[in-house]
Amino acid sequence: MKRFVGMWLVIGVVLVGLFGLFEVFYLLAGAAAALAVRLGAPGFYGSAIANTITLMAILLMTVAALLTVAERKWSAAMQDRVGANRIRVFGTALGGVPYLLADALKMLTKEATFPAARSRFLFELAPVMAFAPTFALFAVVPVGPTAEVLGQPVALLVANPDVGLLWIFALAGLAVYGTTLAGWASNNRAGLLGGVRASSQMIGYEVSLGLSLVGVMLAYRTVNMQDMVIAQGTPVFGPIPALGILLQPLGFLVFFTSSFAETKRAPFDLPEGESEIVGYFVEYSGMKFGMMFLAEFVEIVILAGVVTSVFLGGWHPILFEGWLKENLHPVAFAGIGATAFMAKMVVLCWLQLVIRWLLPRFRFDQIQALCWKMLLPAALLNLFVTGAAVLLDPSLTLLAWVGVAEIVIIFAVTAAVARSPSAAAEHGPDSGHAAHAAGH
Amino acid sequence: MPYQLKNAPADVRESLYFPEIFRAIGIVITTFWRNAFFSRDRNPDVLARDLSRSRVTTVLYPEEKTNYAPGYRGLHRLVPRADGSPRCVACYMCASACPAQCIYIEAAEVEGDPIEKYPVRFVIDELRCVVCGFCVEACPKDAIRMDTGEHPPPTYERGGQVYDEKRLLRGPPVSYDYDPWLRRGARLPEASMKQMRQLARPFAKDAKDEFSQTPGFSVRALASEAKARAEESSR
Repeated sequence: MKRFVGMWLVIGVVLVGLFGLFEVFYLLAGAAAALAVRLGAPGFYGSAIANTITLMAILLMTVAALLTVAERKWSAAMQDRVGANRIRVFGTALGGVPYLLADALKMLTKEATFPAARSRFLFELAPVMAFAPTFALFAVVPVGPTAEVLGQPVALLVANPDVGLLWIFALAGLAVYGTTLAGWASNNRAGLLGGVRASSQMIGYEVSLGLSLVGVMLAYRTVNMQDMVIAQGTPVFGPIPALGILLQPLGFLVFFTSSFAETKRAPFDLPEGESEIVGYFVEYSGMKFGMMFLAEFVEIVILAGVVTSVFLGGWHPILFEGWLKENLHPVAFAGIGATAFMAKMVVLCWLQLVIRWLLPRFRFDQIQALCWKMLLPAALLNLFVTGAAVLLDPSLTLLAWVGVAEIVIIFAVTAAVARSPSAAAEHGPDSGHAAHAAGH
Repeated sequence: MPYQLKNAPADVRESLYFPEIFRAIGIVITTFWRNAFFSRDRNPDVLARDLSRSRVTTVLYPEEKTNYAPGYRGLHRLVPRADGSPRCVACYMCASACPAQCIYIEAAEVEGDPIEKYPVRFVIDELRCVVCGFCVEACPKDAIRMDTGEHPPPTYERGGQVYDEKRLLRGPPVSYDYDPWLRRGARLPEASMKQMRQLARPFAKDAKDEFSQTPGFSVRALASEAKARAEESSR
């Protein structure tokens, strides 16, 4: 019971801490914007620089690094284990967080070994190519709404280009180069095989990733991420807002699945399958491997962020939103919004870990079949249905009904247990065998 | 719990793949909730643990220990009598029975007694011991037992695993009135009795005490040393 209360206490403290952190971020962005205006530049320049430091260098990297700890502790909880707890600070394991420092220390101090026959320039370039595009993806993810701070309108958003989602497609496509170059430049056939697998898998899933979002673009009539999040706040059924997951459940599923393949993690971890080939980073050691490793976690966080802002309402707190908006100072509301975004994003990261420990690895032909035979047709179907619904009823109500119908169908199929194992054992045709086996 | 595996072909719902995944996500989330939000039962008897909330059955070993079964063959001990002297009469039965030849005994006569002997050296190399318990079975005097319920604590040197009579003589004493030793009133030399009483104590927490450091011990070397001494005296 102590642990139960403690866990909720920790969650509450983290949420409150995040709220405070985001207030500070808003203040910094506002101050930077004011400074930029005083220097004669547009205020947006200042807030963009401040947000680059606060959101990308601090927030994103911290969450990605903590995710390495979470991978240890959360997966332990999912598998009835205790998890990493041997590093103790004053007698407590602190939830495994000190492992973060131990990992970093190990990566940084490890001997760096290289294959003699490597292609030197590309070998050095590959970790950067794996990390940088992934990292830059976060620039267009809107963490918080626009609010007036120190007389300047600032949002927790590094850049707000009108291309929005297209930026994500472009840079996610670039990330393939890192893995492919790593595989090729290390002059190792296991590495090359991993690189080739990675490139074919990522290019394949890029297609369904893009197509699944076209429906969202149709529904909200924009590709700008901030506008998309704002559009999700408009009510569609009475008080229920037009969330992406409500309008596009199928698109959500396809996008989420494809984003898994993009992160190259289980069950799509064929490029780094430990049991057959070690993967495209087999020849990398020390912090060069660490970059690839971290890029994977950064990608998890970012794709969770994209899913949050496109399908789950981004920074809309959803619950009590009207009341909060009316009764709170705009900056306080913005902080609560950003906290809500973080909460949704962390839950999605957690969900990715759940699925990572849930499913066994696909075979390579199964991966390609899932991509080209299931996800791509599903995305196309979703696109046509969305297009027709938006054409017939531009107020999105029809699309919402279609979405509700899809959700109901998915739930019904899930809930309808076709063969209950115990019932089959009693009445099934093979019950005789079971009794026989039990007798022995 | 045994469960049934069936090779029935997948039905339509299972071929849809996603519904089953959703169901499985539900199962994993339940497990996560139970293990992350409820504390683990720390009962050292793992099978008796309450798994209604957290299902973790881990025993964090150095901090927590399970209880060994009553028949567990732990570290040897030399059983003392009530007066603190070892029950051992240096008959060499255990050393003869030992398949690993890890017991070394040096006998001495009790002064003023025509029959009784006692061990001045009784050394067991725990690294060579195969924990078969033959020495316990062989002992006619119930002088060596493996009832400590401990295993030899880890040491940084091999010598630390060599236990001599000073470290072995410990634990609850066993005395019988009909013990011929007592009836004859045989006494060990007062000095060695005093030393034995002093040293009959539980093990030190670490291997740093003076008796842990017996480097270079070998039964064979001790035996050849004793042989050389015997030859020396007979010459």
